[in-house]
Amino acid sequence: MAGAAVLGRLTWRVATIRDMREETARAKSLVLDVPDWPGHLAGQHVDVRLTAEDGYQAQRSYSIASAPEARGLELTIERIDDGEVSPYLVDEARPGDRFELRGPIGGYFVWHAGLDGPLGLIAGGSGLVPLMAMLRHRRAAEATNDARLLVSAPRFDDLLYRDELDGARITLTRQAPPGWDGFTRRIDAEMLQAIWPAPGARFYVCGPTPFVEEAARLLVGLGHEPAAVRTERFGPTGG
Amino acid sequence: MHTDGNHIAGLLAEVFTGELTAAVRACETCGARRPVGAHRLYAGAGYVLRCPDCGDLAAVVYERGDGYALSLRGTWLIGRAP
Repeated sequence: MAGAAVLGRLTWRVATIRDMREETARAKSLVLDVPDWPGHLAGQHVDVRLTAEDGYQAQRSYSIASAPEARGLELTIERIDDGEVSPYLVDEARPGDRFELRGPIGGYFVWHAGLDGPLGLIAGGSGLVPLMAMLRHRRAAEATNDARLLVSAPRFDDLLYRDELDGARITLTRQAPPGWDGFTRRIDAEMLQAIWPAPGARFYVCGPTPFVEEAARLLVGLGHEPAAVRTERFGPTGG
Repeated sequence: MHTDGNHIAGLLAEVFTGELTAAVRACETCGARRPVGAHRLYAGAGYVLRCPDCGDLAAVVYERGDGYALSLRGTWLIGRAP
């Protein structure tokens, strides 16, 4: 499985949207049918390519949200207002529409249930997408290792996968609903220390670059091994 | 603003016909051994990859006509495909 997911030349395939689900006001999950999909590992991404009638092409990378065990490949896409690809995928695309995709891609930011030991997941905004693939895979594989998730988002309504966040630690940095008993500040050493009191976890941190660098810096400062902290950043461009 | 080597995983897979973000690069300046995915990536007309520890140049990649131009520095430890 691991071999099948990384071997072979990358080829563009035509994906057909089977189903769409609204995650937040700005994000949708697209369930895709992709003929001859070779399978993937949790944490990997795909490249999506849109071609206009005049031949102009725009290409972006999106993390895979579904577990390898799921039927259908699922991407969660957040609209970047001046983006070239995400406004189409979030607002215009409909079931039955098709676009080009290649993957799975990536071998560094991946986790599979064969890797034992505690799992530490830290997400900033839509950085939750590849981490949710890991949690969904962990559930499907019935892994029993300790897994803890910390999600940072501006507001409650910005949280992806709200139905699947039982047990997750959440911090809302701009506005919290009345009665909120989670964190209400940017991530800091005290917060990470409370969730991961001792080193030993394998960390995956995904989000915007400043968030990821701060989280990684804090983890190393708390005594976690730098090599145990895997990171994936996304920048201001894209969408 | 930079991102990281994961961002060009598809491009590297195309150039090398294999996955490269898990490959470890040994920096010739500071000696750090870090996965390509953990390197800092600066995107412009092409891509510049830098050592996450010392910022030394690790790779430059850009599209060139019907192919790519590629410049690598340091030692890249690439595992054989399973």
